[in-house]
Formats: sequence, structure tokens, C-alpha cells
Amino acid sequence: MAITYEAVKNLTAQLYDWSLRKVPDDAQHALRGLLSSERNETARKTLTFMLASSDAAERGNRFVCSDSGVPVYLMRIGTAARLEGPIKQAFTDGFAELVARIEPPLLDHVTNPLTLQRGHSGRHMPLVTYELIDDADYVEITCSPKALGSGRWAALEIFSFPTLDVIERYVLEVVMKAGSQPCPPVVIGVGIGGSFDYAAKMAKQATLRPVGQAHAEPMVAAMEQRLLAAVNKTGFGPMGTGGDATSMAVHVDYASGHGFTPVAVCFNCWINRRTSARIYNDGRVERID
Amino acid sequence: MPISAEQARALKVGDTVLIDGDIVVSAGLPTYHRIAEYVREGRELPIDLTHGVLFHLGSYSRETPQGDLEVLYINPTTSTRFNPLMPGIIRGLGLHAVGGKGGLDAACAEAMQEAGCVYLSFPGGGSALLSEALRGVRQVAWPELLTHYRLVKLRVEGLGPATVGIDAHGNSVYDDLKAGSQERLQAIFTELDQDRAASAQASSNI
Repeated sequence: MAITYEAVKNLTAQLYDWSLRKVPDDAQHALRGLLSSERNETARKTLTFMLASSDAAERGNRFVCSDSGVPVYLMRIGTAARLEGPIKQAFTDGFAELVARIEPPLLDHVTNPLTLQRGHSGRHMPLVTYELIDDADYVEITCSPKALGSGRWAALEIFSFPTLDVIERYVLEVVMKAGSQPCPPVVIGVGIGGSFDYAAKMAKQATLRPVGQAHAEPMVAAMEQRLLAAVNKTGFGPMGTGGDATSMAVHVDYASGHGFTPVAVCFNCWINRRTSARIYNDGRVERID
Repeated sequence: MPISAEQARALKVGDTVLIDGDIVVSAGLPTYHRIAEYVREGRELPIDLTHGVLFHLGSYSRETPQGDLEVLYINPTTSTRFNPLMPGIIRGLGLHAVGGKGGLDAACAEAMQEAGCVYLSFPGGGSALLSEALRGVRQVAWPELLTHYRLVKLRVEGLGPATVGIDAHGNSVYDDLKAGSQERLQAIFTELDQDRAASAQASSNI
């Protein structure tokens, strides 16, 4: 058997649909934790509403947010996986089929950046990144739809042999610029080093990591902790109307590079939507979120 | 809703409200450009907004088999996108409530103070609960635009909670938070440096 066009098309459409109707368990857990320590009354009301609304979406099978964003996928391909058919096309066709059948319908969010025309399809849409996993007999696909609300505040700057304090100050500067805007409490992804494109990719993928899971290296985990503490001293709070809970997690990753060090910072809003599943060579599908 | 200038002026930053009545919404930048143009030229809008409320909320509305309009869901969009257009719209129409998420800038707050107008912050990503307040579509204008760009008058009951982010007296939680965080930034950097030094010390002791 093999991992077919049909299987990838169906799963990618389902992952997108699922991601719109549920706030992932790790984010809900983090929100409850933030609620228990929040000192600002308005912020506590907002956090309580967020939890109630995510519960209502899940129970009623409704959209968490009306902005379904655009489809963004990460496909990690096992080197022992057997693929069959036009797998890249499967993403495009899966999204088109989902748009045709999903209830309630999706708003037109796919935007041509040159003409600002909006619709449900466009050049390079869905946005897919491919990676390899050595020896695995499956593909692992993550869907993390992205919208303007938190997407527009990501930033990247390139430094030359920066010390840690320079890097950490830059993260805070980006957070200050985003301020009340990116639907806090946010997950912040930070990618350090590598190259221009690689740093951005690491930052994005860092936001996919389960909330509560620290980086494997103690030095990086400590950096995540102190950055989270620093961000939560800014006071922007839930929905940016004031409070302690500006961020539920800061996830950092790094790659070795040359002396020029890109630092990329990006945000996921509080609903932190993402879903993942694997398809095995025998056709079995396994949800892993 | 409707809300008077006096009622708007009685609200303070940080208050939370639930909204009953008719509201007008659109999430489209082209729509706000068009509204601003109508206001500048003194033309009559297809939905009367004089002394009304106008929210940066997206909505999905469609025709039912019976020929009525139904609205399926609503949610706030980022208000700061409309910053350059809102002062003219607020003053020109004498709006008493605007809203969305993320706030508006100081120029908008100034126009709001003159008009007796508040800014209401709706929880982003709260579509499931916010949409439960929908009671019907009263009017849809500019149907040639994308669904969420249309100017839509909705009947709502218990919409919210919405937080007063900017009141009609020139107070803005957004400006206050920005200024407050900027004031604290040096102290935050200092604590960050201390944490880093402590962490380096701890790992060198291992």
C-alpha cells in the first residue's frame, strides 16, 4: 500500500475543518492557568469568556473565529513513506473541495497581494512547507491556518554577532510594537540564527510546539521562561485591554549559522489553532494533536 | 442600541457592556473608504448611520430558500486598519459607538470625544458565543462587495461582553497601556538581565 493523493486530499481538508472548530487542549489548559493567576478583573472576564466561547464552539461544532485565515500546512515526510500520485496537488484540491462543502461557508480570505482581490484560491495557496523525517513510514501533516489578526505583527531583524541581551531585547521590542493587537494571550515563536528564511521557519514552527513543553536544551528553556515573564510584565493583557496574561508561552528555537544572526518573532493568537495527523503506508490515519 | 451621546459619556474605560438593538457592521477596508467618501461628499448612505453605531465586525450573511437573509456568524476584526478613516467618519456621522478589536489611535479618540462616542472591544476568536446574540438581518447594503465587506444592519440581543476600550472623555486603555509598558520597559530589561545572569550562574555551578 501507499500514501495516496486521495488520502492526503481528504486529510488536509479535514485538518483545516477541525482546526476551525476547537481551541486545542493545551491552549485551553494554558488559558485556565492564566485565569487562576490573573489580577485584573476585566482580564478575568475576558479569559472566562474565551474559555466559554471555545467550549461553545466545540459543543456546537461552530467556528471559534470567523476569520478562518488561509490554509497553511507543514508536511513532514518519512523517508520510508511511499507516496503515490500528485501529492502537492492534493493540498490544492482538498482545500477547493472543503470550500465547496463546508458549513457554515468560509469567507473570502485568500488575497492576491498585488491586486488585493480576495477569493478562495490563489497562487501558491495552500502554503505548504515540506520536511523529512528519517526512517518513518508515515507522513505527518499539520494545519495551522493563519489570519491577519496575529499574522501581521511578525518581524525579523538581522544582527551581527549579537549577545543574548540584544536578542532578547529585540523580542521585547516586537512584542511592544504588537501591543494590544494580536489577540493576546499569544504564543510567541522565536527563531534565532541559520539564515533569513530558516529563522522565520523556526519561529513559525516553534509556535506549533505544545504549550507547556520547554525546549530540550536547558539554556534555551531558561531563555523561554525569562522571556515569558518579561512579556507578561508589559501589561497588555487578554485582548489588549490590560492585565497580566499577555502571553501563554514563548517558544524559542535556534540553528547555527554564520556571524550574521537573524532573529524572527511571530505570534499565534489565543486560539492557537493547529491540528496534526499522520498517514501511514498501510493507509491508517492517526490524529496526534 | 441606539445609544445617545449622554449614555456614551456615562461609560468609562474598563466597563463591560452587553448590547441589545440594531447595530451596523462591516469588516472591509474598501467599505470604510466608501463610507468616508460619502461622508466627505455629503451623500446619503444606504443605511442611515447618523448618530448611530458602526462596528468593525465581519459577518457571513446569505439568502435563505425563502428569500430572506440570514446571518451565520460574526466576529471582530482589527480596528487599527481603519485609523486614518475613522475620525472623519465619527465626526461626519456623529457616531456614538464604534468597536472591533485592538483599539483606535489618538486622533480617533479625539474625534470620539467631540462626538460623544465610545470604542467597544469585542473578544477576538469569540465567534461561537458572540454569534448567539444574533436575532436577524435588518438590512444589507452594497451587495456587490464580499460578504464580510458589506454594510449590514443586524438585530442583536445580549451581544458581548464588550469592554469600553476608549471612552468619550479621551481616555484610551490602548494609549495608557502603550505608555505604561514603555515606562516599565527599562525595568523589564533590567530584570531580564538579572534572570539571565542568574541562569548562567546556575548552569556554571552544575
